[in-house]
Amino acid sequence: MTDDRWIWLRLAWRNLWRNRKRTLITASALSVGYLASVTMIGLWEGMLAEMIESGTNLVTGQLQIHSPDYYPERSMYATLGGRDGIDVDELVRLTQETPGVVAASPRVYGGGLVSSGSETVAGMLVGVDPEREADVTQLLSFPAEGRAPRAGEREIFIGQGMAELLEVGPGDEVVLVAPAADGSLGNDLYEVSGVFSTGLVALDGSFGILPIGSLQELMYMPENRIHEIAASIEDPFAVAALGDSLGATLDAQGLDYPVLPRPWTVFRAELAAYADLAGAVNGLVVGIIFIMAVFGVANTMLLGTFERRREFAVVRALGTPPAKVAVTVVYEGLIMGVLALAAGVALSVPVLFWLHNYPPDLSNLFGEISAAGGVIRPVLRAEYSVGGPLASGIGLLVTSILSALYPAYKAVKILPADALANL
Amino acid sequence: MTTDTPDEDGFTGQDMSHAVGADAATGGSATATADIAVRTEDVWKIYAQEPEDVEAVRGVSLEIREGDFMTMAGPSGSGKTTLLNLLGGLTRPTRGRIWVRDKEITNFSGKELARMRLESIGFVFQAFNLLPVLSALENAEFSLLLRGVPAEERHRRVQELFAEIGLDGLESRKPARLSGGQQQRVAVARAVVGEPTLVLADEPTANLDSHSSDDLLDVMERLNREHGTTFLFSTHDPRVVERARRRVSLVDGQIVSDERG
Repeated sequence: MTDDRWIWLRLAWRNLWRNRKRTLITASALSVGYLASVTMIGLWEGMLAEMIESGTNLVTGQLQIHSPDYYPERSMYATLGGRDGIDVDELVRLTQETPGVVAASPRVYGGGLVSSGSETVAGMLVGVDPEREADVTQLLSFPAEGRAPRAGEREIFIGQGMAELLEVGPGDEVVLVAPAADGSLGNDLYEVSGVFSTGLVALDGSFGILPIGSLQELMYMPENRIHEIAASIEDPFAVAALGDSLGATLDAQGLDYPVLPRPWTVFRAELAAYADLAGAVNGLVVGIIFIMAVFGVANTMLLGTFERRREFAVVRALGTPPAKVAVTVVYEGLIMGVLALAAGVALSVPVLFWLHNYPPDLSNLFGEISAAGGVIRPVLRAEYSVGGPLASGIGLLVTSILSALYPAYKAVKILPADALANL
Repeated sequence: MTTDTPDEDGFTGQDMSHAVGADAATGGSATATADIAVRTEDVWKIYAQEPEDVEAVRGVSLEIREGDFMTMAGPSGSGKTTLLNLLGGLTRPTRGRIWVRDKEITNFSGKELARMRLESIGFVFQAFNLLPVLSALENAEFSLLLRGVPAEERHRRVQELFAEIGLDGLESRKPARLSGGQQQRVAVARAVVGEPTLVLADEPTANLDSHSSDDLLDVMERLNREHGTTFLFSTHDPRVVERARRRVSLVDGQIVSDERG
């Protein structure tokens, strides 16, 4: 006991190892709790990443740039730059050059009727640049039949549900009727280039993708008028910050028209709400894990406190202040927490590595699951993050300290005279 | 009649207004003299119990002089341990007053009593009660550590004491690797190393064989003789009573005899 500053910590350390088995079993319980927490958070973030990825990569992208008045009415007339239009290539370039943005692509939207023979379906028509769009979303990349539309061609790529209703397939012709920007109705014949199947009923039943020029032609819109720049980004979880930085970047360019970047959390609000809800439920489950651990560890520590009643009585009799007795017991909890944390980290690293790189595929048991407008593959993939292990580590240490508080209180409340008399 | 319940400091307490009243009644005349280590005045300890309260100590007035080497004998249940606890500030009297040197400790808070015990009282227990995770030296220096004595000085004082009481070379041993007699000598070292006003020894030889008991008594007698350490033993052991220079007998919580010589 040469260094007095750490005497109570050293005393706590030695006390812990008096019953090695009990300490190891209790610390193991905490470690397993940490592992469970980290794994749950990792899997939840993996599932969330998958949901966001499928929910945004498929059609919308993770970041969209509109005219401020475009959303939420999505008026056909609220194009970027208004009637004057914009330099589309320049805005795409500026967007793509913003750090964190992977790719960007222009879009035009229209509502219309799609007919074949006597069948007619109301559809959402999306005009895209097929080459650029392939870097932003995946809808064009996986046709169920045929192929994606080509730039400059009067072609349409429709969903499986729409194709079935219209009884058409690749090579067949459909008639599109859509309100045009000049107030008239545009209509023309388009060839079905291919059919996509996402598993999302709303998308498969009502979406038609056209080359952007073809849709602009149908809607009597010049090439420099678009509704949206859609972008894919590196980190979907950091979309809000990236949206702000993109807005600032575009403002700094001195554009002569207003723009407003919108993150996926705005235009896929239901997905964001689902993610929040899932996060809250996950937090609750993790909380329950640690609350259960508090009672388990406190029970064990209380047992240890009762076993050492006489020792606490002796140190009190010798003049040890009650606070020092309490601190020693809390230190015991804290040391156990630190040991459990070290063991928990050692356990969780290989588990997370395995779940991240070689995730178990449960496709044989479950098909694809659609939720909140996204499709989730039944794959148990854990996402790496700093937040999960950090929060779990703090949770573990708080648990170990909380577990020690009641035993510490009981240790302080031991009556020296009674304990020494074995009462 | 007031009885005891634990207070927030974890001590069984008394009705303080009563004690203050006693002081007022005597006009504050109760004062300590310089050579008195501990003094009690009409001390009672009553435990609330069904069907009737237990009067463990009944109106004990006692003066322990510095340098006393005294025993407190009596049958089981006569109140020896309770009186020892009262003198050592481990419990508070239900009635009456207690002084350690010139300080009245009757109304001390739990914190003040802890400080008083640290500075003025040494304890030797029947069951040795060394801390098993500490070595012999660490056990012996524990009270010095609590007082903030620097490590170097602590070690020097304990080692000198160990040499004096035959524990030389056992400094690093844990209690589990010491004999009963050695453990009790470490406990004595722990009690006396801080040079307390009074060492309270509760049946210190009860768990020792006769040879170890004699050795231990030799040690304590020598410490009393050479250092002037004041010892009060609660004991049944006739060997301890024989060596004492003052013998107090307790029956049913009352002192029935107090002999010197």
